[in-house]
Amino acid sequence: MNVTQLAESLRRDNHFMKDVTRWEVIPPWPARTLPFPDWMDERLKPVLAKRGIHALYTHQAHSLEATARGEDVTVVTPTASGKTMCYNLPVLSAILKDPDARALYLFPTKALSADQVSELYEMIEAMGVDIKTYTYDGDTPAAARRAVRQAGHIVVTNPDMLHSGILPHHTKWVKLFENLRYVVIDEIHTYRGVFGSNLANVLRRLMRLCDFYGSHPQFVLCSATIANPRELAETLIGRPVTLIDDNGAPMGERHFVFYNPPVVNRQLGIREGVIPVTRAISGMLLKNGIQTITFARSRLTVEVLTRYLKDMVRDPLGNAGRVRGYRGGYLPTERRSIEKGLRAGTVDAVVSTNALELGIDIGALDACVLCGYPGTIASAWQQAGRAGRRREASIVFFIASSAAIDQYIVNHPDYFLHQSPENALLNPDNLYILLSHFKCAAFELPFEDGDGFGNAPSPEQLLDYLDEEGILRHVEGKYHWSAEDFPASQISLRSAAEENFIIVDITDPANPRVVGEMDRFTAPMLLHENAIYMHEGRQFQVEKLDFDACKAFIRAVDTGYYTDADLNINLGLLDIEKEEPNPRGGVTGLGEVKVTALVTMFKKIRFDTHETLGFGRVRLPETEMHTTAMWWTLPDDLAASFPSDTLKNGMMGIANLLRIVCPLYLMCAQQDIAVIYQVKSPITDKPTILVYDNCPGGIGLAHKAFGMRDVLLQKALQVAEDCGCEYGCPSCVGPVGEIGEDGKRTAMRLLRELTK
Amino acid sequence: MNLMEKLRAVGGSSGAKRPENTRTETDCRHLAVYRPAEDFPGALELTGETLALMSGKEIPADLDPRRILYLDTETTGLGGSGTVAFLVGMGWLTDEGFEVHQFLMRDYPEEPFLLKHVAAGLERFDALCTFNGSTFDVPLLEGRFLMNRMDRGCLDLPHLDLLHMSRRLWKLRLGRCNLSRLEEVILGQPREEDLPGSLVPQRYFDYLKTKNEYLLEDILKHNAQDIISLCVLLNHMAELYRHPEKIRFSEDVYSMGRALERSNHPERARDCYRLAARGKMAPAASAALAGSWRRAGNREEAARIWQEMARTSRGGIRPLVELAKYEEHVRKDPRAALAWTEKALARLSEPVIREDQTVQEWEKELQYRHQRLRRRIRALEAREDAAPRE
Repeated sequence: MNVTQLAESLRRDNHFMKDVTRWEVIPPWPARTLPFPDWMDERLKPVLAKRGIHALYTHQAHSLEATARGEDVTVVTPTASGKTMCYNLPVLSAILKDPDARALYLFPTKALSADQVSELYEMIEAMGVDIKTYTYDGDTPAAARRAVRQAGHIVVTNPDMLHSGILPHHTKWVKLFENLRYVVIDEIHTYRGVFGSNLANVLRRLMRLCDFYGSHPQFVLCSATIANPRELAETLIGRPVTLIDDNGAPMGERHFVFYNPPVVNRQLGIREGVIPVTRAISGMLLKNGIQTITFARSRLTVEVLTRYLKDMVRDPLGNAGRVRGYRGGYLPTERRSIEKGLRAGTVDAVVSTNALELGIDIGALDACVLCGYPGTIASAWQQAGRAGRRREASIVFFIASSAAIDQYIVNHPDYFLHQSPENALLNPDNLYILLSHFKCAAFELPFEDGDGFGNAPSPEQLLDYLDEEGILRHVEGKYHWSAEDFPASQISLRSAAEENFIIVDITDPANPRVVGEMDRFTAPMLLHENAIYMHEGRQFQVEKLDFDACKAFIRAVDTGYYTDADLNINLGLLDIEKEEPNPRGGVTGLGEVKVTALVTMFKKIRFDTHETLGFGRVRLPETEMHTTAMWWTLPDDLAASFPSDTLKNGMMGIANLLRIVCPLYLMCAQQDIAVIYQVKSPITDKPTILVYDNCPGGIGLAHKAFGMRDVLLQKALQVAEDCGCEYGCPSCVGPVGEIGEDGKRTAMRLLRELTK
Repeated sequence: MNLMEKLRAVGGSSGAKRPENTRTETDCRHLAVYRPAEDFPGALELTGETLALMSGKEIPADLDPRRILYLDTETTGLGGSGTVAFLVGMGWLTDEGFEVHQFLMRDYPEEPFLLKHVAAGLERFDALCTFNGSTFDVPLLEGRFLMNRMDRGCLDLPHLDLLHMSRRLWKLRLGRCNLSRLEEVILGQPREEDLPGSLVPQRYFDYLKTKNEYLLEDILKHNAQDIISLCVLLNHMAELYRHPEKIRFSEDVYSMGRALERSNHPERARDCYRLAARGKMAPAASAALAGSWRRAGNREEAARIWQEMARTSRGGIRPLVELAKYEEHVRKDPRAALAWTEKALARLSEPVIREDQTVQEWEKELQYRHQRLRRRIRALEAREDAAPRE
């Protein structure tokens, strides 16, 4: 059955349709094209013609025009709209004209780099010209590095390698820096939060060195659809950009199905689980021979679903290679083989985390199933974009979990279909991040008195601090690096956590095998001792977690359960930035806090029934971070009017409501912010609800929440009022079992008072 | 909190406010050390020809040994653009002995002066001799010239990197070849009370803070000693190349043969192999000798050695395989080739064989050869049968 036939049959199926809250059909649209520009090198045209390209889509043509005018460009169009042409054509033209010209390509992951190089190779080979394109990353053999540095016309790398492998050794890259014409940064929407704030500083360093070498590169940036591409791009590179967003690429008909699993327990507001429903829908697609990608939010869910789907297609020998799991933490070779299988059609179904959201080339698939809302509108569209052929129909299923945000989306499909996606926020001037990059920059080239660092504020004070600490040495008007360390090696761009954990399989003790890795913040949650760790649908038990050596040792097991760890969070105040009285009493505050997180115990949960089988203790050191928080204190008289248990339940309800509302109205991912409540806060000494940036130093969300404090409370109240439940459910204040019978009523009363 | 307080909270604070650094010097510090000529016997006789043999590089035959610059740097770290060479020592032979001149920057503003001395020094010489300089000192200095916007051309001298040259000669016997180990084992002059290189950067930073010159004494001594050792080691090595028959260790003679072969001196290489063929390196040396003859086009001489090895059961399976190839391709005698192949296969089943190829690889190759030879012999026999008989 093809997608059109399947869609027709599903729409006649009343049992299925009763749980569909919306079936949106997005009509196909045709291509809009413009001719190649005159200045494009003649040698490119036959190569493009051979690939069936005889004209440019409008967005490509406009991007090329702007680049030709010398502007920095940001291209924002959906997946598979031919964005790469927007940079490959100007770059290749420039090098064909001037063989000394150089370009630097940045992709967020190695996988994407590898993909891009193979496409470039093909074009260059077809032209039969001598343009050298090299990938320079951790996998580049030492022997090849010299050639890359000397002769690479196009150097393809990632921000991490630029940061620690290229910039600190710039004197070995003279040819590149002296002749740098273009800097291409693809997938810029991934550079938000800490990663983006770091990249913005890496680019400040790059520009500083280009100044030293006398080059003035132009930028071509590409992004998936987000609300503020221009702002993001301009913050990243610190100068104005031209925005190109008139997508001219064609698209076949697309079906977007919103599916809300049926309620199984009305009192508790519990719905059928998202995993079994996804299993059924992805399974149905698999059986009908429709190539499908299923996205799940967590690595764990990916593993569970992979196992379920593999079981459906296992041959008598137990092989189920037609179904594959895919996520970060798999080794590169394994991932390459899955990507190849998808393109070649030998893999029918893949279950993935957001790792496949990026532009890794897996071809266009017929169907996409979102197992739960991925957390942001941008992500959801990006994932949905994996299904979508230029001529044929495709279908996307969004399956809501009982999580409140999922319920909000599935019941307000218009919010999803018509709301502009999220803002990508970043804060290059986050003090932690800025300070780190000042060190790197000073290592690369001494600062002179009066030097700036991009548009970073108060550079002289940071330099004086580093001089005071003896890291720099200020003498005769220059700040010299004056320490033995190599500062770039101490900074990881992706999170504030420095080192990843290595996962070692010791099932065969004689032959230990590294099977994956995990970041420092996640490791305590998923790799504590006795945790069940899943990899490609296989279960392992963590035998030992060596926290200092960053290694986890796992052994294959076969149990009927998985594990889920509990996280304890504490806040301490470092500094109050602002505190303003509220009309009804109490204050709203903003300041810097210290957050400590500790995993103390875990639950064992049975597969299939998901019941809790038991608990275990975890003994691990706590992790600490400094960040920005905003908070509301409750007026004394209002707090005093409730018994303490009732007050606690009400506050928990408000915190749950804010967890739904904040990501939507601050336009960020759920994991970027955290909401907690404290009946007697060590910060204010009063009942307090706090919202904080969930990354070291913060990226500005708490500031934004402080400015929107009234709106956030009003929207929280509205969600509670609009919800049909009586005493609370997971879609608003939380389930009755968690907040008690008086939770919803109390939360609403408190909110009405606070918003008076 | 003001910004400075915040920075101290975020980055940690030692709390010490340092005094303002002001300097008005117009040159870096210059020190010199002299050694008498008798410490370097034969050094003035060193020829470009010997150096070419040793290094495998093109060195002018008439190179004057007094025009070799021995250079070593002391640095503030292990590399990257923020690492500075704060001390550069340069030494050279004169008719009277050996001179070491050290240029020390007493603070960062003196770096351009230091680099000017280095550039001026380099320009007066025809070759450069360092220990690991091709990977470390030279790129580092190139970077420093670049960052001070000075010309890097002065570094383009023929470069004798003693680390590479030592590895070719002694790695087989010694494993690691760092300078202090070579001084001890090869030159028989262990260094006493030497400052470990890893402590050098911190010493220098302490000096910058205190300006206590006493802190640098060990570093200056260490650097001068390194440079003197470079000259001694180079001449010691040259003596070995001139007289391989005097080398006591057959590993070293064999290694020298390999080095000479790689630098395209096959006849001298074969001399070394013949010397080494008497000791415990005999199988490897014989095999290398035979290989060298074969590459030189003398298949008969090579075959003679392989036969000798086969006769005395030395060198494992390789001689048998080589003889099979020789019979098949040179002598065009498939039957003799088959006989050697079968001998090799029989030897393969003996459990002691361990060679550079795994048993499976040998097995595969030999079986393939065996089948091909059998086919050829059958074809040959068919032709012979068909031939009209007298």
